[in-house]
Amino acid sequence: MPNNPSMAAAIVGAAESNKIGYIEEGTTATKLHIEAIINVCKQTGISPSEIEGVFSAGFSAQIAEHLGIHPRYIDTTAIGGCSFVMHVHHALAAINAGIIDVAVVSHGESGFSARKNRGNGTNRATGDDRWSVANQFEVPYGIAGAPSNYAHAMTRHMHQYGTTKADFAQIAVVTRDWATLNPRAVMHSKETHPAGGKITVQDVLDSRLIAWPLNLLDICLVTDHGGAVLVASAEKARSLRTRPVWVAGAGENTSHSSMLEMGDFTATSAAASANTAYKMAGMGPGEMELAMIYDSFTITAAITAEMLGLAPRGEGHTLWQDGKAGPGGSGIPINTNGGGLSFSHSGMYGMMLLVEAYRQLSGTAEDGVHGIAGKQTSAKTAIVNGTGGSLSNTGTLVLVADD
Amino acid sequence: MAYTKPIPDPEQYINKPFWDGCKDGKLMLPRCLTCNRVHFYPRVICPHCHSDQLEWVECSGEGYLHTFAVQHRAFGGWAEEVPFVTAFIDLKEGDRMLTVLRGVDATKPETIKIGAKVKIEFEAASDEVSIPFWRVV
Repeated sequence: MPNNPSMAAAIVGAAESNKIGYIEEGTTATKLHIEAIINVCKQTGISPSEIEGVFSAGFSAQIAEHLGIHPRYIDTTAIGGCSFVMHVHHALAAINAGIIDVAVVSHGESGFSARKNRGNGTNRATGDDRWSVANQFEVPYGIAGAPSNYAHAMTRHMHQYGTTKADFAQIAVVTRDWATLNPRAVMHSKETHPAGGKITVQDVLDSRLIAWPLNLLDICLVTDHGGAVLVASAEKARSLRTRPVWVAGAGENTSHSSMLEMGDFTATSAAASANTAYKMAGMGPGEMELAMIYDSFTITAAITAEMLGLAPRGEGHTLWQDGKAGPGGSGIPINTNGGGLSFSHSGMYGMMLLVEAYRQLSGTAEDGVHGIAGKQTSAKTAIVNGTGGSLSNTGTLVLVADD
Repeated sequence: MAYTKPIPDPEQYINKPFWDGCKDGKLMLPRCLTCNRVHFYPRVICPHCHSDQLEWVECSGEGYLHTFAVQHRAFGGWAEEVPFVTAFIDLKEGDRMLTVLRGVDATKPETIKIGAKVKIEFEAASDEVSIPFWRVV
């Protein structure tokens, strides 16, 4: 690498929209975007007028217009839930090149309210191309939505490595344990959701079958969520009142778009994107003290953990065994916010990974409630990986705390 | 009986020989004249060696079950068929296709064997379009 951009930029703030989860009165994607940006601006003391680059999954010009700003760097990479992790990579590159000093990465998605709003307010492109690969060669076979696709990867993993449904269920159980420490998690407790609070492996196995071998509790939530992080140059980062979390490494990769082209159903491009990120950071998986891993499904988390080098092939699920990845566990803590499985997942989960990683490494992870210890860990390094599409696209970051 | 599930609208610029083949009960796929490999879905370039010298060949319609899932939630016409088995098929000639797998018991996924031999069959969804399906033999 002629010019290693490692540590050229930091995440200097991270915030959510005013409300997240199942927002009863309803909301729109735009409202979620803007609330989160306002909140991260207030947190950092950076005014919207200081934002020079806008990064979002397809909606950057509209966000800039809504804010009344004229940014000179626009990125609309939208290839699924990993996009936001990639936006940080792109912001790092733009900052390292000296083009901008302050970038916002923004997410707003009304996955829950869309139903109430009859499909309006989502900012999603409408219209369906009848000649797309999906409509020619997938939809005719009843494939509809991510669970119907991802289930094929889980079956193949079970066949190839002898893993069981109970192995994967354990991931949902431990992730729920983290959610019980996060008062903003949808599944935090019986007070936040009738099915909230701790669960068992048997609960997962007994939950409704959606696409065998995936049961309902193997699958993420569908919520409303807005989030934003500010990425700033090293000099700018050091001038702010918030603690910087440094981007030590970043990488991205894509192995396919349609699952028809997924060669090995038990492997993703996370191996490649993580390799790039580790190399940039000059660090390896053994030095990671926290992992924020996209858990659209339990199988996604297990495979990704293997790809990130945290466990051997076929053994990703063992990181969660006996609560090792959970609160107070003996292993690397994983998905300390409660994950897409039990915290919040609006359709694209990448922003939630970034916000929680920032909080953990800046020492601002929320405290627990009801007398339970908080979810703050002592981690000073984190590996953050987002997956998008049909186990297709991945973005990886290596983040380190400011010393 | 009318076909109630999604019927593809055949794209005519790249895929025409494939869909015409389905109508004739043949699995037609592009083969690369440079590296000799067959691919699916049809492209304008060989995804293996990037040659643009391709020809259409009739394939055997034989393959093996690579992996599967049992769909318990579906939409439109497929909603009435749940549970049904979707599967990725390794073609004898190479590369892979998706299908709804026939000849298996969707309520007993443990009896469905990865690696099982499968054969293609075509269902006329309309006067214009036939859809390939695969069946365990």
